[in-house]
Amino acid sequence: MEKLQKDLMETRFNCVYYNAFYVSAMKSKLAKVVVAVVVFLGLNQPGWGALTPAQIQALPPAATHPVDFKTEIKPIFEASCIRCHGRGRDKGGLQIDSLETLLKGGDSGPSVVAGQATNSYLLAMVAGVLPDDIMPKKGKKLTPEQCGILRAWIDQGLKWDPSVGFGPVEPLNLAERLPAIPHGKNEDNPVDRFMDAYFQQHHIKPGRPVADRVYARRAYLDTIGLLPSPQELRAFEHSSKSGKREALVQALLSRNDAYAENWLSFWNDLLRNDYKGTGYIDGGRKQITHWLYSALLTNMPYDQFVAELINPTDDSAGFTKGIVWRGVVNASQKPEMQAAQNISQVFMGINLKCASCHDSFINDWQLSDSYGLANIYSDKPLEIFECDKPTGKMAATKFLFPQLGEIEATTNKAVRLRELATLVTCPKDGRLPRTIVNRLWARFMGRGLIEPVDDMQQTAWNQDLLDWLADDLVAHHYDLKVTIARILTSKAYQLAPVDSGSQPRENYVFAGPEVRRMSAEEFRDALATLTGIGYSNPDAEIGATETAKRQFGQKKSGQWIWNNPKAADLAPAGHIYLRKTVHLPVVPGEATALVVCDNGFELFVNGHKAGSGTDFPKPSLIDMKPWLKKGDNVVAIHAINNLPNNTVPPIGKPISGSDNPAGLYVYARVRATRGDSETVMDFVSDQGWIVTDNLIDGWEKPEFRPSGWRPANPLGGLSMAPWRLPSSLVATQFARQYSAGHPGLVRAALVAADPLMTALGRPNRDQVVTTRASEATTLQALELTNGKTVAEVLKRGAAQLAEENAGSKKLIDSIFEQAIGRKPTRKEMKLAYEIIGPKPQKAGVEDFLWATSMLPEFQLIY
Amino acid sequence: MKLKRTNWNRRDFLKTASAATLSALAAGYSRPIFAADSAEVKAKATADTVIVLWMAGGMAHTETFDPKRYAPFSKGMPAKDMLSTFPQIDTAVDHIKFSQGLEKTAAVMDRGTLIRSYTAGDLGFILHSRHQFQWHTGYAPPQTVACPHIGSFIARTLGPKNPAMPAFIDIGQRFDLGEGEELKSFHTAGFLGSENGPFIISEPAEAAASVRPPGGMSPARFQNREKFYKSLVADSPIGLHGSDFQKESLLRSMDNADRLLSSPAAKAFDLSLEPKPSYDIYNTGRFGLGCLLARRLTEAGARFIEVTSEYIPFVNFDTHENGHTRMAALKQTIDAPIAQLVLDLEQRGLLDRTLIVLASEFSRDALVEGKPDKPVAGQVAQPDRVDDLKYYGMHRHFTDAGSVLLFGGGIKRGHLHGLTSEEQPCKTIKDRVIIEDLHASIYRAVGISPKLSYDIEKRPFYVTRDGSGVPITDLFA
Repeated sequence: MEKLQKDLMETRFNCVYYNAFYVSAMKSKLAKVVVAVVVFLGLNQPGWGALTPAQIQALPPAATHPVDFKTEIKPIFEASCIRCHGRGRDKGGLQIDSLETLLKGGDSGPSVVAGQATNSYLLAMVAGVLPDDIMPKKGKKLTPEQCGILRAWIDQGLKWDPSVGFGPVEPLNLAERLPAIPHGKNEDNPVDRFMDAYFQQHHIKPGRPVADRVYARRAYLDTIGLLPSPQELRAFEHSSKSGKREALVQALLSRNDAYAENWLSFWNDLLRNDYKGTGYIDGGRKQITHWLYSALLTNMPYDQFVAELINPTDDSAGFTKGIVWRGVVNASQKPEMQAAQNISQVFMGINLKCASCHDSFINDWQLSDSYGLANIYSDKPLEIFECDKPTGKMAATKFLFPQLGEIEATTNKAVRLRELATLVTCPKDGRLPRTIVNRLWARFMGRGLIEPVDDMQQTAWNQDLLDWLADDLVAHHYDLKVTIARILTSKAYQLAPVDSGSQPRENYVFAGPEVRRMSAEEFRDALATLTGIGYSNPDAEIGATETAKRQFGQKKSGQWIWNNPKAADLAPAGHIYLRKTVHLPVVPGEATALVVCDNGFELFVNGHKAGSGTDFPKPSLIDMKPWLKKGDNVVAIHAINNLPNNTVPPIGKPISGSDNPAGLYVYARVRATRGDSETVMDFVSDQGWIVTDNLIDGWEKPEFRPSGWRPANPLGGLSMAPWRLPSSLVATQFARQYSAGHPGLVRAALVAADPLMTALGRPNRDQVVTTRASEATTLQALELTNGKTVAEVLKRGAAQLAEENAGSKKLIDSIFEQAIGRKPTRKEMKLAYEIIGPKPQKAGVEDFLWATSMLPEFQLIY
Repeated sequence: MKLKRTNWNRRDFLKTASAATLSALAAGYSRPIFAADSAEVKAKATADTVIVLWMAGGMAHTETFDPKRYAPFSKGMPAKDMLSTFPQIDTAVDHIKFSQGLEKTAAVMDRGTLIRSYTAGDLGFILHSRHQFQWHTGYAPPQTVACPHIGSFIARTLGPKNPAMPAFIDIGQRFDLGEGEELKSFHTAGFLGSENGPFIISEPAEAAASVRPPGGMSPARFQNREKFYKSLVADSPIGLHGSDFQKESLLRSMDNADRLLSSPAAKAFDLSLEPKPSYDIYNTGRFGLGCLLARRLTEAGARFIEVTSEYIPFVNFDTHENGHTRMAALKQTIDAPIAQLVLDLEQRGLLDRTLIVLASEFSRDALVEGKPDKPVAGQVAQPDRVDDLKYYGMHRHFTDAGSVLLFGGGIKRGHLHGLTSEEQPCKTIKDRVIIEDLHASIYRAVGISPKLSYDIEKRPFYVTRDGSGVPITDLFA
């Protein structure tokens, strides 16, 4: 009785064929009882009755051949029956896990009778001869051919292949497992021991490793996303050190800035993070850029990385916050549901998208699973919606793999999130490391150990290798660089490249890494390396990179100053005037002042107004060089503390009752370079400045003699309250200015997508993207052939190269070596020389650059 | 080693290749799951080309194709009296009237059908780009997959008409403006892959540049560059590795690009080749020139073209104020080009096989935001009494009615479908049309089943939402 009620209340929807009669009719308790009684009376009979002669006549004829269970019956069951009657589900009480349960039948009695097809309820239902009882309830009905096969199978005695079952499926790739490393050839890298076993099994004799230059180009791109320079290539090739390839990989992986910039794109795709995109208007989306870059820069262990995304701080919350569009949104796309879908896809290779609207048709996940996970992120328990219609049922919090543990049923969301993070990242969870290890393998080899990489409920083509790599990652404290090194130093990775089009999807056999295509960012950066023309202004807010800190970091410690020791708390609105005499031993080659003033300022150098700023807290960068000389210089600043309503106060006496925070911060970067040596003449705001609040004509001029001025009051360091500016501000601002003057230094990963990168496959990160399509398209080719971006880059690059005038042959050699890692052949040199001319001229160089960067050898990773 | 050239004629290829081959070669692209009746539906196609004329920003139906009681401006007039701020005019069809300012389009009404009963989705607090996304993909964002634009579905399913031309061309929208990111999110082939994505021409007057050598490069130099490139490729030692899929696909794509730039079809992009008298008729602004470009591209064999009046928040049809004044100007920019497009195609014998669809994401009303029975949060101030021309017009976002004009491509001639109320709010009262069915009708015209789906991550993704679109047979001759 209860089962019938349960079935009736669990009416579900097929998204293709909408069912107009649904559960709301069942909401009334009385209605439930009435219907249940009616059905009970109607169906609770021994057996199901029998077919009339007319109905038997209407049955499709039986197939006339001996039916093979595995190839003929199994597919029918899988396509049309197990959704409701398999994998632990038992609609109508019927489970078809095995012959036993099939024979047992369900609430209406036995479903089949061996040898008696015309007496088998199951056949009658799928053949559609019982108007009120047609199976399957959802999806395509069985064809007459399929019915005929079933009919014959029943009459032939229900032969069942004992190796086949439709019961609940164990999750694959979940339990920890450490396979023993096979014996065999003396390979240093365990990856190759596992691959040797594989090759033997498949009768493959692997070829020799690729040449140094080919290897180096791959390794550079795969670790830091940049091409090796000709010098680096030559040095690597000529080195006779043993283990040089391993050493190269380690050296590349320790280039932290470049590593972070490269992998930023990979993780931006996976974590659906971007600097521009849908949802930012209306505040419906949040970046995790700063957190992510930092995590990559410091090589944050992967378990901590995942934990901080699942149970986020403010900085990392953007991933699980999702993308919220203005207005009313489909229930399956509520932020909590997005979080559940994204976490399970990215970290565990589970597709909960289908199961967010209804029980999934493509895997065994159910609506209650996606809601159970989403519930963890919800402030209040979620009501379950099926196909965007409310069911009246509330979700029960649950974790996808009860084998690993449970989430406490607490109203405290912080506790739930912490527990979820712990569960997903615990060592018992073998799914987490396998998923990431598989993604890395796919990235470097062109195809994963499991494909698609987002479906980890599959067996790998080398399961031992997958399991071992996963265990290895965990054993090394989830250090992804260890896994990267394992793969990149394996002989398997060093094999000659394989044509990706030559492999069938089914029955894949690994014969080497596939030929891959450079990503949009790799291509753009390679073009920048080749031409010197890249980007100048990053869109990513990542603070100062290590390189920038080294190059532009502070050499002196500045402080906020004012004419009042308590100015950081309160100072009257008004105008103050400051001076400093700066002694420069030599004429500076560059002199830039970074000034931040609460609220506004004017800067004078030797009496000349050099700049001003009113945009507090935006720092101003002011060029002082035109007016500085060797010897003594006078730097003067007129600083203004606005009224509380943020307007400029009149000049004159300070206004009482107008107190609000005031402060001036200056960092002047003054350098002279000769050859390799640099003279640092930086100066800062500190007590070495003198100040007055009395405006006297000519106060800013060098010849003015200040009288009665007092030393300025230092208030505290840059990051003090109330301003709390980042300590990396100085380095970041100077680095930014420098790269603006030297375009090409900012990597493509740090800027928002432009039409060129979009055309080359940089995705719109509205959804999680785990693999980019790499096939070349006509629109891409059009963008490359005559698009403005490429044309501009080539033009400017060619102009520079032509100007350098290194000689045509030298130019051709160096471009080729930089672009594709080898010298041109005689024929190539001849062709290039023709187009460039004996003395490199701009148009020829442009066209040569274009053709070179369109070469498969350039764009592809061989 | 000589370069192996494979002649990839896309349509032949699609016709003959098995799904497995398609999959393998497409390296993971979605496979079509054809509805059982697809072959049958294909045979009934009445159009080979689709042109969408997109009135971006919410085109008020009562000020254009569905005029109501006219109330001229008088200081202090009640806002609820504003149904139409223009008088009616006759059209070539007796029982259909338009709003003043659309005389030329009125004269060609007998070449098509007017739907007055289009109603937009109920998406809550209104964001233009969200409704535009739903109009163009059939699905309301956010979605779990990157949704393809209807143009991409058509490009992918039917392939290009002229293999040298991009199958899907989008004219007139710039993306570095407000809601640009949201616009980008549906100007895409999504999971179908960028081979089927829109070829974007933001400035119709500069269209020729997009199919010419890069700025400042003479045709001779361009050809020389191409020749040099081909020679380099042919002599590349990489050839020793043998041919491979990535290389083939790269070279093929470069061939396609070169072919377009060298083909006669490229001339179609050059508006300066249009005879001046004709050019002048279309030249009412960027939209008008876009219509001219669309006509030329249709003649050259494009498959799907969209010309937009351009969505810029609060500009063009997005009239949050001064509705009347702005509509007067807008109608001037759209009237002559729309009519001329219809007449030109008819004169060239192309109208019968070209489906033109003029539409907008929703309509406007003086008072109601959303639908009368499902109002949504207000965004527009509208005083009860109209004291200033600023408040004279249709300013609120109204989703319960909308006009869609259809010409050519097997559509009934001189026909009216649907009815809206004569009283405020002028909502749909008969034969409601929803986006699923409008799309189904467009698909039916070109011979695609509304239940056609493409496989993405094992999910069948239908060209109309969940396969629920039903073509409106009343629209077809």
